[in-house]
Amino acid sequence: MPWINSHFNVKSYRKIVRLSALLLLLGLSGYIYYLDVTIREAFEGRKFAVPARVYGRALEVYPGLKLTSGQFAEELKRIGYHENPQPDEAATYKNTWNGLEFTTRDFMFGDGPQAAQHLRIEFADGTVSRLQVRSEEDDDLPLLRLEPPLIGGIYPGHNEDRELLKLNQFPKLLTDALISIEDRKFYTHWGIDPRGIARALYKTVSGQRIEGGSTLTQQLVKNFFLTSERTLTRKATEVLMSLLLEMHYSKGEILETYLNEIFLGQDASRAIHGFGLASHFYFDRPLDRLEPQEIALLVGMVKGPGLYDPRKNPDLALKRRNVVLQEMVKLNVITQAQFVQARRKPLGVVHRAPIGTSPYPAFMQFVYRQLQRDYREDDLRSEGLRIFTTLDPQIQLQAEEALALRLRQIEKTRKIAVNTLEGAVVVSSTQNGEIQAIVGGREARYAGYNRALDAQRPIGSLAKPIVFLTALEKPDRYTLITPLDDSPLVWSQQGTSDWKPQNYDLKFHGLVPLHTALEQSYNVATARLGIELGVKNILDKLPLYGIERQPPPFASSMLGAFDLAPIEVAQLYQTFADNGFRTPLRAIREIVTADGKPLQRYPLNVEPVAAAAPVYLLTAALQGVVREGTAQSLSYWLPADLNVAGKTGTTDDLRDSWFAGYTGNHVAVVWVGRDDNNPTGLTGASGAMTVWGEMMKNLQPEPLQPVVPEEIEMVNVNPSSGLRYDGDCRAGVLMPFIRGSAPGDISDCDFTYADSQKSKESESNDAKVKPGEKQDTGKKNWFQRLFN
Amino acid sequence: MKNRYASFFIFASLLLFAGCAGVTTKPPAESTAPAEQPKPVMSENPAVVALLDRAQRDNEAGKRETSGASLERALRIEPRNPWLWYELAQLRLTQGQYAQAISLARKSNSFAGQDRQLQALNWRLIGNAHVAQGDTPGAEQALKTAAELEQSNE
Repeated sequence: MPWINSHFNVKSYRKIVRLSALLLLLGLSGYIYYLDVTIREAFEGRKFAVPARVYGRALEVYPGLKLTSGQFAEELKRIGYHENPQPDEAATYKNTWNGLEFTTRDFMFGDGPQAAQHLRIEFADGTVSRLQVRSEEDDDLPLLRLEPPLIGGIYPGHNEDRELLKLNQFPKLLTDALISIEDRKFYTHWGIDPRGIARALYKTVSGQRIEGGSTLTQQLVKNFFLTSERTLTRKATEVLMSLLLEMHYSKGEILETYLNEIFLGQDASRAIHGFGLASHFYFDRPLDRLEPQEIALLVGMVKGPGLYDPRKNPDLALKRRNVVLQEMVKLNVITQAQFVQARRKPLGVVHRAPIGTSPYPAFMQFVYRQLQRDYREDDLRSEGLRIFTTLDPQIQLQAEEALALRLRQIEKTRKIAVNTLEGAVVVSSTQNGEIQAIVGGREARYAGYNRALDAQRPIGSLAKPIVFLTALEKPDRYTLITPLDDSPLVWSQQGTSDWKPQNYDLKFHGLVPLHTALEQSYNVATARLGIELGVKNILDKLPLYGIERQPPPFASSMLGAFDLAPIEVAQLYQTFADNGFRTPLRAIREIVTADGKPLQRYPLNVEPVAAAAPVYLLTAALQGVVREGTAQSLSYWLPADLNVAGKTGTTDDLRDSWFAGYTGNHVAVVWVGRDDNNPTGLTGASGAMTVWGEMMKNLQPEPLQPVVPEEIEMVNVNPSSGLRYDGDCRAGVLMPFIRGSAPGDISDCDFTYADSQKSKESESNDAKVKPGEKQDTGKKNWFQRLFN
Repeated sequence: MKNRYASFFIFASLLLFAGCAGVTTKPPAESTAPAEQPKPVMSENPAVVALLDRAQRDNEAGKRETSGASLERALRIEPRNPWLWYELAQLRLTQGQYAQAISLARKSNSFAGQDRQLQALNWRLIGNAHVAQGDTPGAEQALKTAAELEQSNE
C-alpha cells in the first residue's frame, strides 16, 4: 500500500508541477495580455485627451465705441499681448501718442478663421476714433474682433491640462536636449536600458534607495499611472509595459506622446502636462520662440517639476538649468558661444498668480452645468472642444471688486465681525440676456459655495413688481395713480394662520397712489392689491417670466416669502428690462470641435410674455423707486439722468439684503447676507444696493430710455387727486397712461388752488409729492424729463 | 366659401410677400419676383453694415447658423435697431423656426417706432410664419394688419 501510495505521489506530483507550470504560463501570458491592453488604452487615450477650452466674449472694436486707450491695452494684456517697440509679430503692441499699434493673432472663431492683421487704433474723448490696417495705404477697418480671452478649461483626469503638438512642431533643440539628458540611447534601445535596470536593481537589493535608470519610454509609462509608488513589482510592470509599448509603436510616436504628456508643473488645481503648454505656462510664449536656456530649464524640470519649479525654487531651478546647458554643450547640442551666452541669462519666467482651472469659478460652474445637460462628461473633458461664452472679464472684475470692497466697508462702518457678510452678483446684458458676470462670493477666485446659483433665499420685496405688473395689465382698473389702500389688513386663508402684513416703518399710510406704493415698498397696500387680483393669478405668471419654482400658494408669497437664487431673480428682472420679452439667460454662444467645425450654437431666443405698455408703466414706477423711493440713495453712486429702474428687497429680521435693477445696457442683481442665515442688520438699500451702485458706476452704464409703446400717452394729471388737467396747466405732472385709462374729466387749472390742495394731501397720505418743487419747475418735472 | 376666400387671400399675400420680403436674405429662386421696394438704410454704423454684408454672404452660401451669428454680433452693437431684428426674424423663417420668427418680428416692431414700411414687413413675416404653422386665422389677421399698414404708408 505504501508503495502504491508513493508511486501515486510521484506521479501526481509531476502532474501538479506540469499543471502549475501550464497555469503559471497561462496566467503570465494572461497578465501580459492584460498589461498590453492597459498600456495601449492609456497610450491611445492620452494621445487625444485634450481638455475643452472655454473663452470669454471677444471684444468687438469699431470707430465710435466707448472705450479708452487704457481699457484697450488692458484687454490686449488679458489676451496675452506683449509690449514691443516693433509690434509686427503676432500678439505684440506698442503705445503711440493717441492710441496703439499692434498685431493680432490667427484665430479660429466659431464662424471661421480670422487671419492676423497689423493694425493701428486711435482714441479721442473716451471713444475709438480710428481703426486702420497698417500697410502702405493705411486702410480704414470698420470692425475688429479681438481674440477672446481664455477663461478656463474642463480637464480630463486629475485636472490635467495639455496642448497637443505634432512631433515636427517641437524644436529640434528641445528633443536633442531631452534625449541627451534623460535617455541617450533612446533611438536604439527596446524600451528599457538593461544596464540602468541592473544598477537600479543592485541599489535596491543592497538597501540603497530605488532610483533612476528610466528610459523615456519607462518615464512615459510611469506618467500614465501617476503613482509615486516604488516597489519591485511596480518596476517589473513598468519594464513589461515599456517593452510592450515599443512593440506596438514607433520611436516617433512614443517621443511625441512623451513630449505632450510629461508632467511639468502645477497651477493650483491644474496640472501642466507637456512642453507645449509648459512653454506658455512659464514663458507666455509658444515653444518655437523659446531661447536655448529656456528650453534647458524645461528639460531640466522633467527630473522634478516640484523641486525645480522656477517660481518656487528659483535658485535650484537655475542650477539645474545650467547643468542641462553643460550637458548640451558637451554633446554638441549647442555651440560653445551659445552656451556662454545662455548661462548668463536669468530664468526669464513670467510672473503670474496661480489661476488653477479658471479665475472665474462661479461663471465656469454655470457654463459647466449647462454643458452637462447637453454633453457627455467624457467628451467635455477630452475632445478638445472650444467653448465660446459670454463672460466679459472687465465687467466680472468690477463686480468682484465692488462686492469685496463694499462688504469690507460695511463690516467696518457697522462694526460687524470681519468676513461674516457674504454676497453674490449676477450681471447680464439688457437686450440679449447674455450673462456678463457671475460672482459667487466675496472670495471670487475661490471655487466654493456658489451663492449666485445655489443660495436660495426669500426675495422679499423683489417680488412686488410681479403684483404691480399684473395690476397694470388691467388698465380699466389700475393706472400708476390709482389710489391703493394701505390701512391695517387681516387676511385669512385656508392652510395658513391669519396674515397681518406690516410695513417696514410699522405705520399705515392710508390711500396712496399705486406708483407710490411700489416706490416706498408698502407691504400692506401691495398685499391688498394682490388679494384683489387673486394670489393664484399672480403666482401662476411666474413660469412665464422664466421662474420654474412654484412658490407656496399663500398671500405672503406676493411679498416675497419664497426662495430664489440670485440667478433666477436676474431672469425675472431681465423680462422687465427687455420690455416684456423673455430671453433665457445665456452663458454659451457656441461650441466648436477641436478642428474648428461648428458643433452647436445657442442662439438668441426671445418670446413676448408681457405686453409692452404695462411693462413700460412698471419700469416707470421702478424708476420712481430710484428717483424718490427706497433706493434714493443710489444717487450717491449714479447720476439721476441714468434713470435707473430698480427695487430693493429686505427680508424678516434683516436677514437678506437684495437689489435688482437695470440700466439701458445692464441688468444686475445683488444679494448680501450671511451663510448661517443670521440677521445682518442691513436693508436692501444699505447693503445690496450699495454694491450695485459701486459696481454699476464703473460699467459705463447707458441711460435707461425704454421705447414708448404706441398704446402709451402722456397725460397731465394731479398725481394725488387723480384729476386731469389741460395739457398746458402748470399744476400737473405728466404721467404715462395706457390710452383710454387716464382720468377722463378735465378739471380747471386752478394753479394756486391745486397747489395748496396738493400740499394738504401730500401731508395726509405721505405720498412724497413736494409741492414746492413742482411750483419751481412748473411742468419740468421728472416724468417730463423722462418721457419727452 | 369663407375658407376659399381665406386661401385666396393668403396666396395673394404670399405673392406680395415674395415681392418685398427679400431685403437681404432673398432666396435666388425668387429673384424674378416683381420689383422690390428701395433697399432701406439699415444702419449708419459701418461696423454693423460690415456684419450685415457678412450675414448676407453666409446666408447666400447656405451657412444659416453663421449668418445668424453675424446678425447677433450686429445686434450687440445696435440692440435697438429694428432692421437687425427683422433680418434675424427672416433668417429664422427660412430655417423653419416659425415661432421664433414671429417673436423676433414682434421684437423688431417694438423698436420700429413710426416706420410703417418695416411694421408692414414684420406683419407680413408673421403672417407667413403662421401660414407655415398652419394657423390660418393667425395668418389672416397678421396679413390684414400688414395690408393696412402698407396702405397707410402709401
